Amino acid sequence: MSDGGGENVKEGENNLNHLHSKKSRSRADDFGLSIAKVAVAQICEAAGFQGFQRTALDTLSDVAVRHILEIGKTGNMFANLAGRSQSNVFDIIQGLEDLGSIQGFSGASDVDHCLLGSGTVREMVRYVGEAEEIPFAYSLPGFPVLKEREPGRTFEQTGGSPPAEHIPPWLPVFPDPETYVSLHKIDEKMAQIWEDEVGGPVEKRRELDKTFANLQQRMACNGTQPSVEVDFGNEAKEKGLVECNPFLTPPLQHGEKEVSLVLPPAKLSDEVFLQSANLEVPVSHISAMETFAPGIEAVKSGTFDFEDGRKKVPLNGRPNVRFKLGGGKRCLRVAISSQNQGIDKNSTWFRNDDGMDDKKRRVEQILKPSYESAGTDSLVN
Amino acid sequence: MNATSQQQGQGQQQHPNIEGRHDDDAALSEFLASLMDYTPTIPDELVEHYLAKSGFQCPDVRLVRLVAVATQKFIADVATDALQQCKARQSAVIKDKREKQQKDKRLILTMEDLSRALHEVNIKIVLISDNIQKSSFQDDPIVMMK
Repeated sequence: MSDGGGENVKEGENNLNHLHSKKSRSRADDFGLSIAKVAVAQICEAAGFQGFQRTALDTLSDVAVRHILEIGKTGNMFANLAGRSQSNVFDIIQGLEDLGSIQGFSGASDVDHCLLGSGTVREMVRYVGEAEEIPFAYSLPGFPVLKEREPGRTFEQTGGSPPAEHIPPWLPVFPDPETYVSLHKIDEKMAQIWEDEVGGPVEKRRELDKTFANLQQRMACNGTQPSVEVDFGNEAKEKGLVECNPFLTPPLQHGEKEVSLVLPPAKLSDEVFLQSANLEVPVSHISAMETFAPGIEAVKSGTFDFEDGRKKVPLNGRPNVRFKLGGGKRCLRVAISSQNQGIDKNSTWFRNDDGMDDKKRRVEQILKPSYESAGTDSLVN
Repeated sequence: MNATSQQQGQGQQQHPNIEGRHDDDAALSEFLASLMDYTPTIPDELVEHYLAKSGFQCPDVRLVRLVAVATQKFIADVATDALQQCKARQSAVIKDKREKQQKDKRLILTMEDLSRALHEVNIKIVLISDNIQKSSFQDDPIVMMK
């Protein structure tokens, strides 16, 4: 069996393209169709053909499949018409008569004839008698193969009782609790890994937690509750928190990672520095000042001081972020300085405006010594 | 339906016809029995699969064979028609050039011959696009736009 050659080469090429495109579009019925192709090719070979065009073979096998489906449909229909669900030989013969009525068979015009003597049957008998037997080329298993699925174990089978009353015992058991790890476990795990990697900032984290707790209350952010871990619980457990895609890691809790401390704007820090010794800043109109107190102190001292008197840990090397309130259209003064850069160098970058406020100048004078000691600052307007 | 008409026929008509019916009956039973010896080219599993797909329920293997033989006969008829078309075309060509007789000895089933043969059985082949061809069967014409 070979494909068309000679003048059919072009069509053969087209057929190849068709085949490639058909490969990408695989239908659910491909297996049955391919078997039908083999059978039809065998029949055509017996009829006298020596070669096939691929599309012609596809079409004819498609027709054969549809023929089988049609017989099945009409057979079922006649059975249902007679009030039966299972078809018998008469239903098939009637279906064949329906299909054969186009081409015609002997006795088709007899309206009320017995089906046993139907022309279609006679023709088939003749065909069977005359045609030589051509067995199918391959041996087939029964298909479609049904996959045996194990039904899930029920509560009854496992012997346990369902956790709640509303759950009937014939339902399958719930999955293992380990598959949905609890929040608590993840929290512990992350803390452990944090401690291993960074070393000791767990307490620092707690400190920051305290300081920012008030801020949270003031801001009343409901959405920042630590419930984010739930979504990433499984992933974190499965992938391992240490090596995984940084974009897929669970989000960090506030205070876990050291971020730039946000310093209050110049206007407010003004008041703070005037009362520098006092941690409790009575700035009533901005109640969040309390939270910034340690940070402000850090700016002054350049270090983060633990309340329990541990050794001073230098800042994490990140420039503090300072925001400036108000200010219309001033030039953007961005001075991201690395460590140990004095204020003088910074000031040369700035445009010394005559329009600067007196307040601002005062602030800068006050802040000068703290700049020098801090050394890491970034001014963002 | 047909069983009752058969009974009526038996009641009303006379002996020779009853015998005739018995003959028919016997012939069919014989035929169905002979089907078990004859192995159709279309395998039983394939036919069973598509019959089940169309809702046809029957545990009898002989009926499955009957359907297989019917389809095989149908395809064989179409193939014979197409072969005749192919041969007719070749004979027409040979009249023009002697050389082609050497080349076209091989009989190849082409779409053209096939579509003509299927037209006899009222099946229309419609070209949908460059990649797809669809065949409509009998009273089920599928109108496709290219």
